[in-house]
Amino acid sequence: MSNLRLHTENLAVGYNGRPLLQDVGLTLRQGEIMTLIGPNGAGKSTILKSVIRQLALVGGAVYLNGQDMAGLSEGAIARQLSVLMTGRLSPELMTCFDVAATGRYPYTGRLGILTKEDREKVFQCLELVHALELADRDFSRISDGQRQRVLLARALCQEPEVLVLDEPTSFLDIRHKLELLAILKDMVRTRRLAALLSLHELDLAQKVSDWVVCVGADGIGRQGPPEEIFSSDYMMELYGTARGSYNALFGSLELEAVKGTPEVFVIGGGGMGNSRLPTFAAAGHSFCCWRAGGKRFGFSSRGGSGGGGRF
Amino acid sequence: MKNRALRYGLCMVLLLALNAVLLAWNINAGSVDFTPGEVLRALLDGNAGGIIWGIRLPRVLAASILGGALAVSGFLLQTFFANPIAGPFVLGISSGAKFVVSLSMVALLSRGIVIRSAALIAAAFAGSMLSMGFILLLSRRVKQMSMLVVSGVMIGYICSALTDFVVTFADDSNIVSLHNWSLGSFSGISWENVRLIVWVVCGAMLLTLLLSKPIGAYQLGEVYAQSMGVNIKRFRVKLILLSSILSACVTAFAGPISFVGIAAPHLVKSLFHTARPIVMIPACFLGGSAFCLFCDLVARTAFAPRDISISSVTAVFGAPVVLYLMASRKGGRT
Repeated sequence: MSNLRLHTENLAVGYNGRPLLQDVGLTLRQGEIMTLIGPNGAGKSTILKSVIRQLALVGGAVYLNGQDMAGLSEGAIARQLSVLMTGRLSPELMTCFDVAATGRYPYTGRLGILTKEDREKVFQCLELVHALELADRDFSRISDGQRQRVLLARALCQEPEVLVLDEPTSFLDIRHKLELLAILKDMVRTRRLAALLSLHELDLAQKVSDWVVCVGADGIGRQGPPEEIFSSDYMMELYGTARGSYNALFGSLELEAVKGTPEVFVIGGGGMGNSRLPTFAAAGHSFCCWRAGGKRFGFSSRGGSGGGGRF
Repeated sequence: MKNRALRYGLCMVLLLALNAVLLAWNINAGSVDFTPGEVLRALLDGNAGGIIWGIRLPRVLAASILGGALAVSGFLLQTFFANPIAGPFVLGISSGAKFVVSLSMVALLSRGIVIRSAALIAAAFAGSMLSMGFILLLSRRVKQMSMLVVSGVMIGYICSALTDFVVTFADDSNIVSLHNWSLGSFSGISWENVRLIVWVVCGAMLLTLLLSKPIGAYQLGEVYAQSMGVNIKRFRVKLILLSSILSACVTAFAGPISFVGIAAPHLVKSLFHTARPIVMIPACFLGGSAFCLFCDLVARTAFAPRDISISSVTAVFGAPVVLYLMASRKGGRT
């Protein structure tokens, strides 16, 4: 059997029959994480919604395990593909177990009653996302980070081969972002899943992805492994950033560099300089520093108090 | 898990017992006094002309079944709109049914044609679908749940105004019965009506129970439901049809009855502490049934021998529940 899980042919996506993006070529293999990055409104979510059939395709086709999804039944798709969507969910009076158990839907009978095996699978999936202790808690009364983990468990209960996640880290703080993506990466590796997701955080996209697809304002841009995509100039172009810069080393966007004569010259090493620079900036000094790559950075907050840069 | 099953079981037994008590009380109480022994003898006699067998029993059965239907209809609408204060009365669906029923009654009675029960249900169903169509159109534009309810109330007013308009053209002899019916009342229900009510409501309830699995998925929202394998379009059509049939059946025979559709599901949800459809659908039926039996008892006995309209009683007991729901949702995410 081929390891090709999801691919598209001449896919055009958009709303009400009007294409927003054309020629969306995606190829997702087993054991891979593919991440869509790009500015808001460019169409990351539109692509994902079209792939999961929430939106009608404007043109072309999406293939799931080699079969055209247009010809597959809802149940057949649900047994191969599951989703984790952005946006908060507050179902009434449901425990985390109940929420996760909805993932067994494609496997239960006419009335949806869980068998003993179903229950065991739900507990297993909750354990995989480290949410076993949440099972009996009310879903609407846990933190956002816990909620996303339970929803990931729900998606896993569907025993999918392909996972589609629309900005799964949106509402989370940094710790929970890392935790969720670490679990996801682990799942994809150990269970040989394939994941298609969209992310806002470039640093995380760089670390978690096997393949990155850039969705820019004028359509699909480059795609490739993260080490090829995350070059400084291209990121600037993708996000249409005229001021500031993208730091390929740290995977973050930086404020504009200072022009003029520096007052302080910092020689850092081993990351030591990093923590000092904002201090100088906050104190109102313009400064200049060099690091191994030989690229100049700077902050300036002359005339302002407390301004500074983020590293 | 075991505890939950036990809780559901106990609550069901409680509701059944409540229904049994209210049924007995309803049959016993009234403007003519009977001792329990006399009631029992009358029931066993099966004298169709008597007060017990001829008047009270059909009325009590209708109140019980129609109350249940109303609560289930409310539960379906609440699921559909993801809105705890959606219900057939609040959304103007009952009023739409009232309008079409009174229109067809006046049109046919003036020509001397007596309407059969089935035709009454059909007219009510057509009216329900009319209001439902408007609500569905509005719900595409109006995303806020409170605004949707306001739209429903407006549709209700329009339909009531049209009904009044129709009534002015009715013959004097028809106006009295039309007036009583349009306020909502279980009085004057015949055995023929009850038989039809049982068939329609039982059929719709069975289909609703079979739909409990996708309803459960739908509680997580449309996108998740679809990703689990629910055919959303077909499911939505089924849900709308079932909730309309259930509420139409009520309106056809008892007129528009307010607030049962919201209050009963909410009270039942709090009692069972779950929203699982497979439990909630039968539980709502029992809850709505008990609620209506109680309200009809009050309507018949509070100012006996005069009947007050059932809607005034359900509003007194149901509206506070709705107010509480609205107030308690204010702080939460909508």
